Amino acid sequence: MRAFVFTDPALTSRAGQFVWLEMNDDDERNAALAERLSVEALPTFFVLDPADESVVMRREDGMTVAETDAFLEEARRAASGRGSSSPVEAALLRADRLSGEGKKAEAAAAYHEALDQAPAGWPPYGRAVAALLFLHQMQDENAKCLALAREALPRLSGAPAVVMVARSGLDCALGLKKEDTGRAAAIAEMEAATRRSLADPTLGAAADDVSSSYPSLIQARKDAGDAAGAKKDAEAWATFLGAQAAGAKSPEQRAVFDSHRLLAYLELKQPERAIPMLQASEADLPGDYNPPARLAVAYFEMKKLDEALAASSRALPKVVGPRRIQVLQRRSDILAAKGDATAAREALEQALAYAESLPPGQRSERTIQALKNRLEQPPTKPAS
Amino acid sequence: MHPFIPAALALGLVASPAPAPEVEKALPFVADDYAKALAEARAQKLPLFIEAWAPW
Repeated sequence: MRAFVFTDPALTSRAGQFVWLEMNDDDERNAALAERLSVEALPTFFVLDPADESVVMRREDGMTVAETDAFLEEARRAASGRGSSSPVEAALLRADRLSGEGKKAEAAAAYHEALDQAPAGWPPYGRAVAALLFLHQMQDENAKCLALAREALPRLSGAPAVVMVARSGLDCALGLKKEDTGRAAAIAEMEAATRRSLADPTLGAAADDVSSSYPSLIQARKDAGDAAGAKKDAEAWATFLGAQAAGAKSPEQRAVFDSHRLLAYLELKQPERAIPMLQASEADLPGDYNPPARLAVAYFEMKKLDEALAASSRALPKVVGPRRIQVLQRRSDILAAKGDATAAREALEQALAYAESLPPGQRSERTIQALKNRLEQPPTKPAS
Repeated sequence: MHPFIPAALALGLVASPAPAPEVEKALPFVADDYAKALAEARAQKLPLFIEAWAPW
């Protein structure tokens, strides 16, 4: 979004219609706001009524330029004419507000109410479906998520949202209990829908949205015991991302694809393929902790532990917030693999102390417990 | 955090494509200052758009 959408001149005309705030989830100053808005996914977009700070609209996940423009138009009208909308629009706005207040069950009911009343061609239909799918997934309601994806896919035919809805349906099918007799058929149905969505260039989905579907396909092939199929999808993922990166118009745009490219290469057990791109990103974006942090991961997988540790040392001074814990955990792994159990433990202790120091909104009790569990385990043997 | 990647999580894939920092934007974003943005929105009587993101 930041490198591709908010830079698009097509949105310039919206500049005077809102006050614009970017809220970096890593920044401690934003922790209280993130807590109040129940931010559970990134990116998430909000429109607030400044009078009472209530949530007028909310949307998780990225958007294309056209989707962003439509979202902003909907938000502009909602913010200026609240209370005068139709019943279906009122239900959607109520759902957004409830979701913004963290009331998941009530929000889901309101989204259902909106979708049940939605006329054919209702512009916010895709947004409402995406929001409800997200709520179902956050609550492990896989059967409900699957049913919604099945219902929505035909109505969204030709829209970019098909990519996300098909992928969500596949993820939820994979999340069904193994003993569910309909699981295999549901996976097959949603895997086919996901593959169709990736094969249709006319949908106009954002590249990062398309990329996010490949891990789901890989997981489906692995679930079926098809290692060769999973590898084929991983290679297709790497090829897709390589082409997107090659077409980038700036280092910032190219670096957008670094994380998924690294994941694709790790899936292929070819971490060395990530080194040149990450070195280029580190040179182009010297203030960004991500390239050296990712180099640490790639070098670690290559068992080049000195290079991994050096990269980790370059990342650490630049990273704050919850992601600093991940960098410290990886650093512990590297040190343990080098045979320095004492330093490995110290890195974990630093991670724990840092995790416990984070304010509400950034603090994760699950992360803290996981770190404590790791500290109670015996030291890991060095890599051979 | 990322909304639609349970399968990615199952694969141990925890990151999403990284939004790059310091990008030239078509829209005049205030960075990480809610109080300032809220005051501006109240003064201008405009709705407040918020992008929650992270550089990862």
